[in-house]
Amino acid sequence: MLKLLVRRLLSALAVLFVVSFITFVVLLCIPGDAAQLVLGVDATPEKVAALREAMGLNEPWYIQYLDWIGGVLRGDWGTSYVYGENVWTLLCQRLPVTFSVALLSMLIAVVLSAVLGILAALKKDSPLDILARTVMQLGGALPSFWLAMLFMLFFASYLGWFPITGYTPMSEGFGACLRSIALPSFVLAIGELGILIRIVRSSMLTALDQDFMLSARVKGLPPRAAIVRYALRSAVIAPITISGMQLAKLLGGTVIVETIFALPGIGRLMLTAVEQRDITLLQGIVLFITSMVVLVSLVTDLIVMAVNPAIRTGEEAVSR
Amino acid sequence: MKRKRSFSLTAGAVMVALIVAMCLVSFVWMPMDPEKMDTANRFALPGAQHLLGTDQFGRDVLSRIMEASRWALLVGVCSVTAGAAAGSAIGAAAAMLGGVLRSVIMRFIDGMMSFPGILLAMMLVTVLGKGILGSVLAIGIFMIPTFSRLVYSMVLENKQRLYVKAAQSYGCSRRRIVLHHMLPDMLPRLITQFSSSIGGAVLLESSLSFLGLGIQPPTPSWGMMLSEARQFVLSYPYIAVAPGVVLLITVLGFNLLGDGLNDRFVKRSSR
Amino acid sequence: MNLCKRLLAGLLAAAAALSMTACGASSADGSSAGSKTASASQTAQTRTDLNMALSVDPDGLDPQRTTAASTFQITNNIYDTLLRVNTDGTLKEGLAESWETSEDGLTLTFRLRSGVTFHNGNPCNAEAVVSSFERLQAEDSPRAADYANFTFTAQGEDTVVVTCAELDVAALSSFAYPWSAIVDTSVADTLKNSPVGTGPYKLKEWVPQQSLTLEKNPDYYDTVNLETITFKMMPDATSQIASLRSGELDIISVSGDQVAAFENDPQFNIVQAPSNGIQLMAMNLANEALSDVRVRQAINYAVDKQSLIDTVWWGYGEPIGSHYPTVLKEYVDLNDTYSYDPEKAKELLAQAGYADGLTLEMYLPKSYPAYVSAGQVIADSLKEVGITCNITIVEWAAWLSDVYNGRNYDLTVVGHTGRLDPYVLLARYQSDSSENYFNYSNPEVDELLSGYKSEKDEAKRTEMVQQVEEILAEDVPAYYIQTPITLYVTSSAVEGFEIYPIDIYEMKDVSFAS
Repeated sequence: MLKLLVRRLLSALAVLFVVSFITFVVLLCIPGDAAQLVLGVDATPEKVAALREAMGLNEPWYIQYLDWIGGVLRGDWGTSYVYGENVWTLLCQRLPVTFSVALLSMLIAVVLSAVLGILAALKKDSPLDILARTVMQLGGALPSFWLAMLFMLFFASYLGWFPITGYTPMSEGFGACLRSIALPSFVLAIGELGILIRIVRSSMLTALDQDFMLSARVKGLPPRAAIVRYALRSAVIAPITISGMQLAKLLGGTVIVETIFALPGIGRLMLTAVEQRDITLLQGIVLFITSMVVLVSLVTDLIVMAVNPAIRTGEEAVSR
Repeated sequence: MKRKRSFSLTAGAVMVALIVAMCLVSFVWMPMDPEKMDTANRFALPGAQHLLGTDQFGRDVLSRIMEASRWALLVGVCSVTAGAAAGSAIGAAAAMLGGVLRSVIMRFIDGMMSFPGILLAMMLVTVLGKGILGSVLAIGIFMIPTFSRLVYSMVLENKQRLYVKAAQSYGCSRRRIVLHHMLPDMLPRLITQFSSSIGGAVLLESSLSFLGLGIQPPTPSWGMMLSEARQFVLSYPYIAVAPGVVLLITVLGFNLLGDGLNDRFVKRSSR
Repeated sequence: MNLCKRLLAGLLAAAAALSMTACGASSADGSSAGSKTASASQTAQTRTDLNMALSVDPDGLDPQRTTAASTFQITNNIYDTLLRVNTDGTLKEGLAESWETSEDGLTLTFRLRSGVTFHNGNPCNAEAVVSSFERLQAEDSPRAADYANFTFTAQGEDTVVVTCAELDVAALSSFAYPWSAIVDTSVADTLKNSPVGTGPYKLKEWVPQQSLTLEKNPDYYDTVNLETITFKMMPDATSQIASLRSGELDIISVSGDQVAAFENDPQFNIVQAPSNGIQLMAMNLANEALSDVRVRQAINYAVDKQSLIDTVWWGYGEPIGSHYPTVLKEYVDLNDTYSYDPEKAKELLAQAGYADGLTLEMYLPKSYPAYVSAGQVIADSLKEVGITCNITIVEWAAWLSDVYNGRNYDLTVVGHTGRLDPYVLLARYQSDSSENYFNYSNPEVDELLSGYKSEKDEAKRTEMVQQVEEILAEDVPAYYIQTPITLYVTSSAVEGFEIYPIDIYEMKDVSFAS
């Protein structure tokens, strides 16, 4: 068990390394010169060259990369040249926005998918099941940017229930904050529904199909008790692990929604970093989000391992 | 039950057929030149002259949607084909090779999969260049991990099977085993994945275009049309409707088709 | 069955609760807005807090280490410059109470206001001013080259003497630009986040991407009307408009298509003025086809300028025929040099040997949607006369490095901000200028421009500038589009908000009507 844990940890670290490495190499190839951007259109070539030297842009790429890794290991995430601010500080400023949107949307998605998925599985092929499957298919196919525009038009512009764009921080009141993130969260939730209903429905169907359900019925348990006591319990593991993974992934999946609703979150920061070629900033964001994803997947793997002894001996658990 | 199963397949096939038909028709006939501006006539309401109205430059929206379907399908099919070919090769190689190399390859694939959202595609397209070729390559690379993971696990599974052991025992090369013995068994799941991936690729392409990183104007793309409409959506809501509906039908069609195929060929054969 | 019902009921209840909170919140908001106006009318007090929208977060608040106009609009209120600008571009006293220029034009003497202190209490004397300018000349300053000509010396407590190495007839205006702001160099390293100046306002709070609040500097030497000014970051125009209507904002910047909704509405004022800037489509003369003046003329003949301005800027722009903004006094109307005539364009192309068509690469900067639209409209018109444009929309970073500095393009649409001195605007047309991204070269222009800097007679200088304008209008190294009209909408109570010929807001003059 311990050996497996160590192996899992090592492979998680390897993934983080690969991700940061890919980011770095890819960004090096993007056209654009950070020094030129700092100085603007009026700078002389000599000035730009001098600043390049000062910013360490003239070092070979692997030295730049090692410098960055070394900094992160010492707790220094570097300075974003666009904002002139420590990357860690920037992340901490933006995280609450993205996190609250991600959390609210997951909450909506989990509740809706649990209700719809369970009912759909219990009443397979009923109109309700068809509804659930329609929502599932639409959730997976609706372009988030289109949905966001339609929501904005109808709920914000036409009905006036929500602000059109923008973010109200929690400090200005819980209600105001909730209203400002409600529409973006719903848009994201509908995307997540596509995945979650599928999982809930299929794991519930599998559970209902299990031998223990039959034996419970044979023992004389009423159907409802059997469903609550056995089926729900065994069906809940997969959706929970998936929800955790999706929540972690959502932290980086909000680019489009944040752009449309003008939320100052990590997604917009990421877009700025790509567009302005802010390598340090982008590296920090990518490392942060992948760390979250890898961490969650590690934890869920461990839980699954603990619950299901069969996996311990087999191949590595495929965590998706 | 059987009736429902075929519903996804039928609905998906119909939707895909519709879009493909629209694309084919666009080569023969379009109501107007999709790139011709008519600035005196912009934001025209849908009507007899312009069935779906005109955009901010007075271009005919229906014609633009029709032309965009060509690029959507082209990018979708090409990128997924490329991604599936490369991804499957990588997955199969990793599974057959084993050892350190396998770990390295699979960690790399894990790494690619761990990128948040569409960031990987965004970065790739910035490097590879925008436009159609850049989009195809970026989305193709984006698709690699899905297919390598799938093929990797299928090959590992099949490796334990007797027929592979038998083939190995009479000295078949590893390449031959994968291509001649395993492939027929894996094909249904690959085709299923292929269909749903096209839906994903079309969606990804439109997202990139929406962010201004995909197909470049004046060539129309559904994502770009929506991004242009966004500037004026509060004053002229109708210009945001049609491109979104067509995009939805396309993605939904390929997803349903994938699901339908999965139900018909994969689940049945595995049970 | 029962279970289904219960779950369903729960779901419905949850949905109902959610919609209730949504309605409840909106009605609560409505009533609070109502009470706000009620209390305002009861006390009949004049407001002293102003809210203004900003679409871009400033890139720090150090005016000497930025090139962003959006940053100067804020820093101009925190820092002072030696001289200040009137709305017509003339200069007036700022931190310097008076100034004089020596006979030979090589020495400028500024007399500072006495007793001025920085926001942190440090004295702002001659020594501090010199130190501030030395920082502006330092290696890592984007303006170092512009100020390399000057040497600064302090004479006593309140006199600063500036010696010019070479005669620069427009030297005075160099001390009115927002980047020439006087900063406290003893805290130079932290200016970016905690600005220390002598201006009418000091920074109260800055939450990046959300808001930036300034409060009145009680020690300021001039009248300052408002107590606090809050800049709210709202990148999206639609929400800015909604916020202005709800009273959450008092001043917003709008585009031509949005302004129509505010016309004839007594609740709002429209502040508009042609800005000191020009927008153009540059052509790269290194391209063989574009090096032929007939091709460039053909491009000018092929596009209907007024229709372009109407489509992209909704008519809010003044067409130009040369590289010169309509607001400056040396402006000459050269719009008729090549007026719209597609037939003539085709003829010229045929003469130049491109009867069968021509393909050009057009790069458009993504950060400026208007330029992207303009490029597409121009490309569409050019297609009519047989010129095909391959459009690529690039990030600003790539535009700067590839198009502007790399000069790797055929056509691009961009804007240039004017300065107070006409020379700076035109200097890029000198053959050897590093900013000459047109690759334009004309000995006559070179001679006029190099003569300009040392010409002391103002009438002659004006004539020289006008000559350059005329040559450019003939040679057309660019398709000159327009001087844009800057538009702001304010709530009708706002007074004193004006548009300046450089990128600044002068917030100390703004007030609310009582």
